[in-house]
Amino acid sequence: MSQSTRDTEQALLLVARSVARLRTAIVALVGGMVCGTGLFVATLWLVIKGGPTVGPTLGLLRVYYPGYSVTWGGSIVGFFYGALTGAAVGWCVAFLYNRLADRRLRRS
Amino acid sequence: METPPLTANPSETSPRQTIIVGAGPAGLTAALELSKQGLGGVVFEADDIVGGISRSVEFRGCRLDIGGHRFFTKVREVEDLWHEILGDELLVRERLSRIFYRDTFFDYPLKPLNALRGLGFLESCRVALSYLHAQLFPIPDERTFDAWVSNRFGRRLFEIFFETYTEKVWGMPCSEISAAWAAQRIKNLDLLTAVKNAFLGQGTRDGEVVTSLIEQFLYPRLGPGMMWERCSELAAQGGVATRLQHRVVAVQHRADRVVSVEVEGPEPSAAESGSRQRHACDALISSMPISHLVESMEPAAPAPVLAAARGLRYRDFLIVGLLVDRKTLFPDNWIYVHSPDVRVGRVQNFKNWSPEMVADPSHSFVGLEYFVDEGDDLWSMDDADLVSLGAAEAEAIGLFLGSEVIDGHVVRMPKAYPVYDDEYERHLGVIRDWLNRFENLQTIGRNGQHRYNNQDHSMVAGLYAVRNLSGAALDLWSINVEQEYHEEKSSRPTSRGGAQPPATGDRLTPARVQNRLDDILESAFAQYDEIAAGAAVGVTTALGLAFATLFPVLRGQPDFLPTLSLLGQYLFGFEVSWPGLLIGTAEAGGLGFALGWSTARLMNRLVAAAERDLERRLATITTFEL
Repeated sequence: MSQSTRDTEQALLLVARSVARLRTAIVALVGGMVCGTGLFVATLWLVIKGGPTVGPTLGLLRVYYPGYSVTWGGSIVGFFYGALTGAAVGWCVAFLYNRLADRRLRRS
Repeated sequence: METPPLTANPSETSPRQTIIVGAGPAGLTAALELSKQGLGGVVFEADDIVGGISRSVEFRGCRLDIGGHRFFTKVREVEDLWHEILGDELLVRERLSRIFYRDTFFDYPLKPLNALRGLGFLESCRVALSYLHAQLFPIPDERTFDAWVSNRFGRRLFEIFFETYTEKVWGMPCSEISAAWAAQRIKNLDLLTAVKNAFLGQGTRDGEVVTSLIEQFLYPRLGPGMMWERCSELAAQGGVATRLQHRVVAVQHRADRVVSVEVEGPEPSAAESGSRQRHACDALISSMPISHLVESMEPAAPAPVLAAARGLRYRDFLIVGLLVDRKTLFPDNWIYVHSPDVRVGRVQNFKNWSPEMVADPSHSFVGLEYFVDEGDDLWSMDDADLVSLGAAEAEAIGLFLGSEVIDGHVVRMPKAYPVYDDEYERHLGVIRDWLNRFENLQTIGRNGQHRYNNQDHSMVAGLYAVRNLSGAALDLWSINVEQEYHEEKSSRPTSRGGAQPPATGDRLTPARVQNRLDDILESAFAQYDEIAAGAAVGVTTALGLAFATLFPVLRGQPDFLPTLSLLGQYLFGFEVSWPGLLIGTAEAGGLGFALGWSTARLMNRLVAAAERDLERRLATITTFEL
């Protein structure tokens, strides 16, 4: 086996056996998109279903999201709030994970 | 055809005298190439027949193939050479082989329905679960054969279809056999591939034909020995004769060059005492067992090299040929016998290899193969007893009746297989390092390189060894028969010193390796830190709950609080109060930790399957460059 292949093999195995880090911005972006879309679809679904009282439980989110309601317009507002929340949670998880993983790696 | 004159006096020797040791596929291919290039040379063969382990032994007009030699190669030049040597006498044969295990015949390669029927429903479920387990929890240390195969096929399938047979062949536990052997012999094949091939036909992966599943092959009309008998004749016509019953017993060297070899012939010579003759040479191409070569060197090799040579192990082989009074026996070319209750490892049906292997069409001729160690009980057994044993075991597995056996013949083949134990790479490295200093010495062939080669690999080594005599600089240890991978960049020079390399030498460069490494890099995943993931999700969840509770309180929205308190259904003790908040936050943190930890763990387990695949592909690359 040539030296270069041996080196590459070693490098690849090192990658495979190292500890993964999370790209904070990417995780925040993905979290934001998933949560934003999720709340948007959930709101829209209830609006389309209709009925005498539309989404009384989901509507309680207005406690946290001022201006949010289970309406066509509220779904857009919900999208932004959901995205904001998802991004914040994603960023927080990734940030904490990276810090803890680094710390644990240094200690080991 | 007159053979070139040989003499005991080096000064009278031709200026380009090449000595080839061994008239197996590697040695005779080298001899033929030597004759084509008009270079002088001679082949010394210790035995009284050419072909090495690829010989055909005659018995009562029948021909016995030592081990069953399929002629299949991906190397165009080798295939062309086969056709050049034998022309129309090379037959195209269909492969049919089965496994005999627990009184049942299984198609090989395995076919799902056939295997399911043979194993039964419950055993099949065990196989499936075992495979699943191997995928989720592979054995991390894959250095041994059992680990390598279990990781690809599952432990249960390993036990059924690999363990007994492999231990019969190698005479040692699978846990002591290096995975290198499995990687080379079952390269690129795993259970999914085998199953896929069984359903969809001949398997390919990125255009690669999976090694163990070749369904058609070429075969000489009178067995593999016919190829090498003809090759020997052609080489002799070109001036490179083969001298049978000439055993090389010593190799003299001086100033890092081999200068002569001492040969023990069948008859006493006037020039030397006894039957020994010394032959000067300009180059030595040796296919004798590399351990013998080292031990034959004069002056003697250094002690560590000799110790390494003695550390190389071989597996020996004997075959019991039985002439059976029955026109047809079974449809297979050969049958693998996995059953532990008989000692035979494989049964060849030579009539199905070529009808002309049997003299009388109303008879059949089979070979029962026993994998042995020289000197063990089977090796030392009388021929007549071995014939009786063979007949009894054939009857025991239901092939034919012992009373149908007309006659039998035993052939013993020492050093048939180089053993890949844990130490062989280290020993071989020591030997190679020492032999590399001899600029006019090259080793070729299965035993010459202590590699479990097929004959096409050995032939390529023979060809390249001769081309090196003409100025090429081809590394014989880098040859791999999977050369189609390397043809894409055949214009890339590999010869040192600017010489135009031989066409096939170009293919030695593992051109596809780089491409494959790029592919592999894409499959390389790092592991998630499970504790860190658990902690991060746990802390975030706890903070989220605390925020969700405090926010409405601080904003003065008490009407929402009863709804929020419903979380107490899941977080026991949670309520909208300071103590309740503390309890709830702690519980949310714990649940978050469990969620993060288990997610990371699950991902790591699944990614481990990709990592295992990565290592397997790397192992494949390693075999390209060995």
